[in-house]
Amino acid sequence: MPEHDVDPGRSAFDDLGPDSPETLEWRRVHPITPLVRGWAVVGAAVVILGQQSLEGGPRGGLLALVSSEYWWTLLAALAAVALVGWGYSALAWRMTTFAVGAETVHLRRGILFRQQRHARLDRLQSVDIRQPLVARFFGLCELTLETAGGTDSGVAIGFLKGADADELRAELLARAAGLKVGGTRQVADAAQAPSDAVIDGAVPEGTEQVAAAQDAGQSVQPVRAASLEAPQVPVLTVPLGRLIASVVRSGAMITLLLWALGVVVVMIVTGEFAVISASLPAVLGAGGYLFNRLTGEFDFRVAISPDGVRLRHGMLETRSQTIPPGRVQAVRLVQSLLWRDRDWWRVQVNVAGYGGESEEKNSVLLPVGTREEALTVLSLVLPDLGVDEPRRVLDAGLDGDSRAESAYVTAPRRTRILDPVAWRRNGFTVTGRALLLRRGRVVKVLDVVPHERTQSLAVSQGPWQRRLGVASFQVHSTEGPVHPEVPHLEASDAALLMTEQARRARTARAAAGPERWMERQGE
Amino acid sequence: MTSPFEPHDVTWNRVSPRLVTARLVPGTISLGIPLVVGVVLAVTVSPWFWILAGVPAVFLLWTFLLVPRQVRAIGYAERDDDLLIRKGVMFRSMVVVPYGRMQYVDVEAGPLDRRLGLAKVQLHTASVGTDAQIPGLPPDEAARLRDRLASRGEARLAGL
Repeated sequence: MPEHDVDPGRSAFDDLGPDSPETLEWRRVHPITPLVRGWAVVGAAVVILGQQSLEGGPRGGLLALVSSEYWWTLLAALAAVALVGWGYSALAWRMTTFAVGAETVHLRRGILFRQQRHARLDRLQSVDIRQPLVARFFGLCELTLETAGGTDSGVAIGFLKGADADELRAELLARAAGLKVGGTRQVADAAQAPSDAVIDGAVPEGTEQVAAAQDAGQSVQPVRAASLEAPQVPVLTVPLGRLIASVVRSGAMITLLLWALGVVVVMIVTGEFAVISASLPAVLGAGGYLFNRLTGEFDFRVAISPDGVRLRHGMLETRSQTIPPGRVQAVRLVQSLLWRDRDWWRVQVNVAGYGGESEEKNSVLLPVGTREEALTVLSLVLPDLGVDEPRRVLDAGLDGDSRAESAYVTAPRRTRILDPVAWRRNGFTVTGRALLLRRGRVVKVLDVVPHERTQSLAVSQGPWQRRLGVASFQVHSTEGPVHPEVPHLEASDAALLMTEQARRARTARAAAGPERWMERQGE
Repeated sequence: MTSPFEPHDVTWNRVSPRLVTARLVPGTISLGIPLVVGVVLAVTVSPWFWILAGVPAVFLLWTFLLVPRQVRAIGYAERDDDLLIRKGVMFRSMVVVPYGRMQYVDVEAGPLDRRLGLAKVQLHTASVGTDAQIPGLPPDEAARLRDRLASRGEARLAGL
């Protein structure tokens, strides 16, 4: 144990955790971190000032101040804000340390309220490397490790140099996978690790490391001979043209255009220009959503590695996500009305820890892709559906309805009063490994839930449904964009599904592989 | 087996009838005050205020008719591997929570509940959508259920 008297706030924590404190090597994040974090404060100040000057203060607002002889007070205020921001960030940097143990990751942070967080690696749900715009100028990244503890349960380590972040991610994934990793940073030791799958050969040239190095503005380093980095195989990329076209054909864009059209018409009719400024917030909101979607999903690349699915995307802020095998709780394939003639699909997933405010950004497995691509991506996260002809089942789920012969149990004809548009689509089918729920005709949806990822099940029945003898069925999944449900099933079908699915979920859980995916044998 | 709410080989446990009181008291207070105010104003100021009194009166009557049926409709059953909870009269629903999926169990009791000798047991899974609560349990039964659920959950816990 280190000396207790020197730092009482810290020593109180030292006994925690299965890794004894002496063996942990505490590391600091990169020293430029406060500079990068401080910019957020300055940026916020500038935005607030900008808003003030737009709206106009009591005495002519900031515009009057800038044009007056006291303009320098504004600069002084900004400088003060920047100094406070940087000063605070510098203190925070001093107090932030992290360490990687055999089974846990430790993070200490906080100035007044000290926090020490231990995350168990076998409960790791995903590892993401995020690079905001400002951090990119310095070639820095932030690594986020998600565990399934709910909102704000992740461990964010940042900022780190691009190469260090990649190395840390590889180490975390290797340990989470159940590989024995040598000394904390002695990467070379890993060559003797008792695994054949991950360390077979070197990392393929190009792909990840080159891309990371390019983004970080660094020269490309030679790939280390014995790296922990699992080799990855690129699967597909989303062309920019298609991404733009898909956003143009999205519901939000149509709404925005209709809104704009309405505003113009009202303006011409009434001759009032004030209509524009009144409708500005709504237009900005929709525009912001479209802009975020376009920049967030820019240059979307999907790859597969033994450590799971790798996603890489983003224009202003780049994200590189790794979702290990078995961490996907549910998958949704969705097609909006105007995507139909191109047969484009969007694939979203529920991953524990991804929920909450960043859901829109990191729960997308494929922003837009052809049917082939969407099904390929689905097969990456759920390799085996447990059915002889998966393609037929999936096709029927994507755009089949009750008129076509298929494995789907569909809602009865009498439910057309309750759901006149999509009643033929409502249905489900059960395969050996997953439950597939389809619904929707204008916006077509197919939800896939692996049996072992079912949390709980529910049936519900309103008064009209009772009269018709039907009930709605719902599967509860972790927080995320996928809410698997199918409405208006025949009551007896719903009852049978409820009991059978509870049993199937139980058997599938008992047979499910270990959380450490490299310890699975014979797969 | 036609109704999804009546699985065979399941015997439902009812919750305490005292839950009717526990639910009617707050309803009576919140609807009774506008009712009384409306009646007083109607008598003293203008007959138009009978409308003000009538609306809460109708709602109050409705509440008195509905709540006892709602309470009778609440049921739960412990099976070998999961817990069933059903509720609702007009809008019925039933939820199945496998013990192995349970993350934690809450037992809550407000001041009125404590006076009436009631407690609420709520189960939480990794899903926020799981609405699995059993209101109106006697405290002993709530404690027994909590311990039983917790021990079964531990025996069957397997990550997410």
